[in-house]
Amino acid sequence: MSNTVNPKNNADSTYNVLNSIVGYQEAVADKAQWEKDGSDLIELKGSVDVTVATLHPKRLTLEVSKVIEETPSTKTIRFISTGAPLPPFQAGQYINLFVDIDGVSTARPYAISSACDEKNYYDLTIKRVTDGFVSNHLLDNVSQGQQFLSTGPMGTFYYNPLFHGEDLVFLAGGSGVAPAITMLKDILSRGSKYSFHMIYCNSYIDDLIFINELRSLAEQYPQFRLTEVVSRPPANFEGFKGHLSADLIRNTLGSIENKLFYVCGPTPFNDYCIGQLKSIGVPNKRIRLEANGAPKNPQQLSDWPTTIDAEEVMVTVTGRGSFKAKIGEPLLNSLERNGYSVENACRSGECSLCRVKVISGNVFNPPEAHLRKSDKTFGWVHSCVAYPTEDIEILF
Amino acid sequence: MNNYDAIVIGAGNGGLTAATTLQRGGCRTLLLEKHNIPGGCATSFVRGNYEFEVALHQLSGLGTEKKPFIMRKIFTDLGVMEKVEFVQEGELYRIVVPGEFDITLPASWKGLKTVLKAEFLAEQDNIDVFLNLCEQISMESFMALPRARKIGSDEVLKSSCPTFIKYGLVSAKDVLDEFFNDKKIKTVLAAYWCYLGLPPSQIAFSDLAVMIYAYAAFKPWHIKGGSQAMSSALLESFLEAGGDVRFNCAADKILTTTNTDHTSEVKAVRTEHGEVLSCKAVISNASSVLTYNELLDTGQPPVSVQQDFKSREIGTSAFVLYLGLDCTPQTLGITSASNFICSTMDEELMHEQMNKLEPPVATMLTCYNFDDPSFAPEGKSQVSLLCLQYGELWNDVPPDKYAETKYALADKLIEQAEQVFPNIRDNIEEVEVATPLTMMRYLNTPGGSIYGFKQNAQDSNLFRDRIDAVEGLYLAGCWNGMGGFQPTYMAGESAARAVIKQLKQKETANV
Ligand SMILES: Cc1cc2nc3c(=O)[nH]c(=O)nc-3n(C[C@H](O)[C@H](O)[C@H](O)COP(=O)(O)OP(=O)(O)OC[C@H]3O[C@@H](n4cnc5c(N)ncnc54)[C@H](O)[C@@H]3O)c2cc1C
Ligand code: FES
Repeated sequence: MSNTVNPKNNADSTYNVLNSIVGYQEAVADKAQWEKDGSDLIELKGSVDVTVATLHPKRLTLEVSKVIEETPSTKTIRFISTGAPLPPFQAGQYINLFVDIDGVSTARPYAISSACDEKNYYDLTIKRVTDGFVSNHLLDNVSQGQQFLSTGPMGTFYYNPLFHGEDLVFLAGGSGVAPAITMLKDILSRGSKYSFHMIYCNSYIDDLIFINELRSLAEQYPQFRLTEVVSRPPANFEGFKGHLSADLIRNTLGSIENKLFYVCGPTPFNDYCIGQLKSIGVPNKRIRLEANGAPKNPQQLSDWPTTIDAEEVMVTVTGRGSFKAKIGEPLLNSLERNGYSVENACRSGECSLCRVKVISGNVFNPPEAHLRKSDKTFGWVHSCVAYPTEDIEILF
Repeated sequence: MNNYDAIVIGAGNGGLTAATTLQRGGCRTLLLEKHNIPGGCATSFVRGNYEFEVALHQLSGLGTEKKPFIMRKIFTDLGVMEKVEFVQEGELYRIVVPGEFDITLPASWKGLKTVLKAEFLAEQDNIDVFLNLCEQISMESFMALPRARKIGSDEVLKSSCPTFIKYGLVSAKDVLDEFFNDKKIKTVLAAYWCYLGLPPSQIAFSDLAVMIYAYAAFKPWHIKGGSQAMSSALLESFLEAGGDVRFNCAADKILTTTNTDHTSEVKAVRTEHGEVLSCKAVISNASSVLTYNELLDTGQPPVSVQQDFKSREIGTSAFVLYLGLDCTPQTLGITSASNFICSTMDEELMHEQMNKLEPPVATMLTCYNFDDPSFAPEGKSQVSLLCLQYGELWNDVPPDKYAETKYALADKLIEQAEQVFPNIRDNIEEVEVATPLTMMRYLNTPGGSIYGFKQNAQDSNLFRDRIDAVEGLYLAGCWNGMGGFQPTYMAGESAARAVIKQLKQKETANV
């Protein structure tokens, strides 16, 4: 470096001032040496993006490689990646699949039902739901070769070795078997000291997804027990008839001590299971519940404001426009239907990706909305589970 | 609107205070954030009934209402003082080396002296001298040193900063060795090296001294609702002043023009969505490495930047467990919000271990609801368990071994903490593990660094000029100064003041 003082460079003159500080000159000399030997860090270029994308890509580019009929009401859609290798996931996690239906861009999260060690594809197992906008579209219109975008694997419903222990019980209702089977395979691969008990509940035997595979795994592995519960079975059905109950859980499991309970199924099933588990003394910390979308009928929730009689409200997006939305519909859905895109993944109030700020007007936040304390102070809501109850203005 | 006075890239602490200062100072400002929420490190997340603080362990620089310090003024100027509530911690920290000692230092300058003297009878006189030294150096660093530098007078420096001249740049280790014989008291007093990320032999004594003095005299603080509450309050203040913000919108390029004298000047920012937004100045809160090596459109970064980078190294990241525990702090045996648990008194060893994917020998445990129950659901506890770790280590972990590696290490951290606080595991209701790669994902920093470059003596502004190779481009955050909350809040504010000044000058020149 030249010794001429750069007039812009004030620090240069102070360098001399600082020279009298013990150690200053030595430190300057060290620094000068590093400047000779060191790297300009150009080798790091792009490294952060690459590293992050291998574990947590923002989007996956997927192609349907196969569609498997599971039951009359259920299909498994197999997706391969047309881009980078599929990222690893923890058994129980989901991806959020983006779709365009009749000009509406939306998305739905589905649990990955293929095994974690299956590196070449993800399976999503989809069951028909009454009035299901996306599920029914996928069941009716998807075929091999179609292309999709999705998020990377997400979600907090998975086996956590830090505290879940070795004695696991999974209460699966209907399509809740999708994460359950992935978790089961993961646990079986961990060895025989684990035990996994699946209580699998359905209305009809026609609905039993993966049942042959589950039965044969149960025969093969002593550490896996399968209890089938069907509420409307035919006469010759060998499993439990009727509904899951606290008694049934207690009788099939014996002690609840040290057990960890996973619950995944339709919302009424989940609510019911939690109630039954609590009634037999299972503490909160031993129950893991999978998120299950926005409440279908928020008007029936106890906190819903009673004063509302309007059917529609006006939603204004600051600086961008406004539209009418139905009372009782999640804000995210009406935004999407009106052409606004908001990042989202869980669509159940948990991940917070869909946050928007309410500038004016009121919004109903059900218990599903896992808001931060400061969100409440400053008006941020999770649009996937936020229900406008009057005209609102939002910012995002 | 596509035309701004200033664009701020990144809504971490530095970006938020920069944007708010700019907008309140009359500059039309756009704040771009890659993620969906403001804060960078200063954030929180929700699991079940818990809201977890991500990064703030102890806020410094606030002072009490009676004895306010600089952050109170800055927060007031930023319009957020009324929007957040602070909680004072009663203790600096408890430090335990099982089998050796277990000492709790109170958050009071007088109390600190008393406790240390009672614990280390043989070192009583040295304690007085040492703590006076810390106080002196702090005073000189806050006022006299900047003044002497501004004036540029050697005489002024000598007369007003005698302690700093003698000890300021000596390593913390050398100073502790000079004053104390007992290894234990040295370990107790050096504990805050963790907040800098380098062991006492590699940090300037002034940096340690200022921390000890400032935390004891001006208290350590938490923020109700977590540091997220401050981040959201800053954003609110920015929006109230008329600022524009875009989330899920990373800056992809900083576009420049080349002037006739071959210097370049900022003219716009292109977003990840391809939109070009013009501006007169850019303050980047993203890492300087990203800013100059990737965002800047000049191809090669300016020579002065290359030169600067050559004398730097990427600083430490962290491995953290966020624990929601189904029991009270009392049940766990917690007697202080901040705790250091070490299985050795050798800080060099602790630092070496940060370079290995092995069980750490030093961990930090923070219990947020110890001083204020509102930080956790009733009857429960919000605890973070952290060890510092270099991010580079994780490059070699294959993706399909990532989860396994992370849980194996997390398990060891719990084991270490359980030496002092048994029954952690049995009470886990929620747990989330963050590795250096998690930090990398959310901060976009090389190595997932949380404090910027390694914070040795040469990292400080005594050895660095502001890089002004590109006109209108400023940095604000932990990459051009100290890391940590107070320094980065302040860095954003001062970068914004510099921009406001520059824009005013330009305006006058153009009239
Ligand atoms: C676990 C942990 C514990 C810590 N403990 C402490 C402590 O106890 N005390 C303490 O003082 N400090 C602590 N720190 C450090 C402190 O939090 C940080 O040093 C400080 O917050 C850094 O602030 P920053 O302004 O540099 O920005 P950062 O927090 O690094 O934020 C940068 C922001 O820029 C965004 N960004 C990056 N690239 C782009 C782009 N291209 N376009 C748009 N946006 C972009 C990022 O998304 C991020 O939001 C801790 C940090 C962590 C993670
Ligand atoms: S999409 Fe996850 S909270 Fe709304």
